[in-house]
Amino acid sequence: MRIFRNLVQALRGLGRNKANVFLMTLGVAVGIASLTVIVAIGEGTRAKVLDRIAGFGFGPESFSIYAGSGRLFFRKAQMPTNMSFQDVEDVASLPTVRHVMPRQRKRLRAVYRKNSTSTRIYGVTPLWEIIRAWPIVDGKFFDDRDMDRKSKVAVLGATPVKNLFPPGEDPLGKSVRMGNVFFKVVGLLEEKGLTESGYDPDNRVLIPISTSVARLTHEAHLHSIKVQAMSPEVVDETMEATRQILRRNHNLSPITSDDFRFVTPTGIMEWITEQKQAMNRMLILISTVSLLVGGIVIMNIMLVSIRERIHEIGVRRCFGARRSDITQQFLFESVFVSMLGGIVGTIFGVVVSLVLKRTDFIPAQITWEPFVLAALFSGAVGLVFGIQPARKAANWSPEETIR
Amino acid sequence: MSLIHLEDVKKSYTSIGMTTEVLKGVTLKISEGEYVAIIGPSGAGKSTLMSIMGCLGRPTSGSYYLDGELVDQMNDKQLSGVRNEKIGFVFQAFHLLAGVSAFDNVYLPLVYCRKTPADARDRVREILAKVGLSERMNHSPGKLSGGEQQRVTIARALVNQPKIVLADEPTGNLDSITGKEIMAIFDRLNAEGNTIILITHDPEVAARAHRTIRIKDGLIESDEKNENFPEFGSGAEGTRA
Repeated sequence: MRIFRNLVQALRGLGRNKANVFLMTLGVAVGIASLTVIVAIGEGTRAKVLDRIAGFGFGPESFSIYAGSGRLFFRKAQMPTNMSFQDVEDVASLPTVRHVMPRQRKRLRAVYRKNSTSTRIYGVTPLWEIIRAWPIVDGKFFDDRDMDRKSKVAVLGATPVKNLFPPGEDPLGKSVRMGNVFFKVVGLLEEKGLTESGYDPDNRVLIPISTSVARLTHEAHLHSIKVQAMSPEVVDETMEATRQILRRNHNLSPITSDDFRFVTPTGIMEWITEQKQAMNRMLILISTVSLLVGGIVIMNIMLVSIRERIHEIGVRRCFGARRSDITQQFLFESVFVSMLGGIVGTIFGVVVSLVLKRTDFIPAQITWEPFVLAALFSGAVGLVFGIQPARKAANWSPEETIR
Repeated sequence: MSLIHLEDVKKSYTSIGMTTEVLKGVTLKISEGEYVAIIGPSGAGKSTLMSIMGCLGRPTSGSYYLDGELVDQMNDKQLSGVRNEKIGFVFQAFHLLAGVSAFDNVYLPLVYCRKTPADARDRVREILAKVGLSERMNHSPGKLSGGEQQRVTIARALVNQPKIVLADEPTGNLDSITGKEIMAIFDRLNAEGNTIILITHDPEVAARAHRTIRIKDGLIESDEKNENFPEFGSGAEGTRA
């Protein structure tokens, strides 16, 4: 086959021009490597968000209501003061609701002897243990009696334990000061470890919400309410009923927007989709630019290369190479080099992604997409940017090229 | 029937708006088995004539029949085929591919023909043996002497058994002793029946041919049989040894 012979000639030609091969490969490899890393970071970020959401402890039958309007994530904390225990009570009376849990939240320093650490204090009810299904490794969760008595008891996550107690010391029964109040440690939460994003779910302390209201925040308003409906099917109607209750309780006029936000599994999924689309647009843009750069490198070097090899082209033409043979030979060269760059770039990109993942610097996740993308795009780049030099080489008249 | 038949061939080149007529109407016939020298001062149009005879360029006007076929109407694919099968070029500057072994250089025309790789390799070995380079076929041109390089180009020209060998100043880059060796090869090739056209400005080289065509200012000045070889002059069949 003539085309196969031209392929052989192309590969041998590349073997004689190793410096050019190196430069062209590098050009594409950089583009493909960045593509691979970007895809890995994109996937990693998505995983991080998903994992953050898993941290909410959502089942499909649950939703949360956060006080305050505005954006769902990363909003500046302006702590609205209008979500109350009345809201909790009213929502709990809805027939489709199984559990309702109010929550207060405060960031404070916790102190034990000479050690102190910054942590998130959550005022919750004993329902927390059921709703979150987070195992207690030592001691027990506080109960309704602690709620009634506004007991100064706390359940500690693994991070405050690590930061406050020397290794070997049993935290159970010890007194930890938060604000001006001493709490007795009654239970320890199982350690979950850092999420992909570096969020530390273990950095928390749980206390009865009654204690929180009476002794710590001295405020009656809530940070959020978690609602568990009877079944996933009734979530929508429960949410709508909840919205009506809250709007009435908060005396909102019909033209005022909600002063609370729902966080639902579907809402989160929509948000992720939105984020992912934005990420994909970004990714496509960056990849296009980097591949364009790789392509231009190939085109430039091929143009220089055919100039250097004008003599070879002339000789080939003298001894029977058709224009199409020359075009094929040089196209094979650029496509081959480009795909080689694709392979090198993918390997390099995967290595960089693994390093990023290992060092917890940026979330990264390796998926199959970059491999397919690299193969397709590098081949296409070689073809698109190789065609012009190859045509040019073929169109020189043999008479002129051997002068 | 003539192997080469040029009829009132003209060729002009245009550059920067200036048209230069290099060939001003050349009519010429060369038969199979002839040994022809085309001689003339530089700028006379020798190389242009060679590129037309070698199907590297088309005449501006006139017609060119090669082996009975009208060449100037052919498309690129057909012309490439003609160059591949019917013409073997030998250049003054050798024009070997750098960094490529003598074997692969000689193989080059066979890349573009239908021979099977095994046949092609046998053929390359055979022709390299004929020019005395069997021992050095894995050397690249840089490691060969000028004479050896020119023998590689002769092998390359002959490998696909062309109808015509077109040699452009084949001894121009060689010292006189090596040049004589190369010319001896051409003499032998002609004696074996190959049609040889030498382009040269060296009267000594031209003297080895059996027919001398003188070109001056784009026209044939004279076309005569060489006195030393009157019996070969027309390249007529039956007179060859």
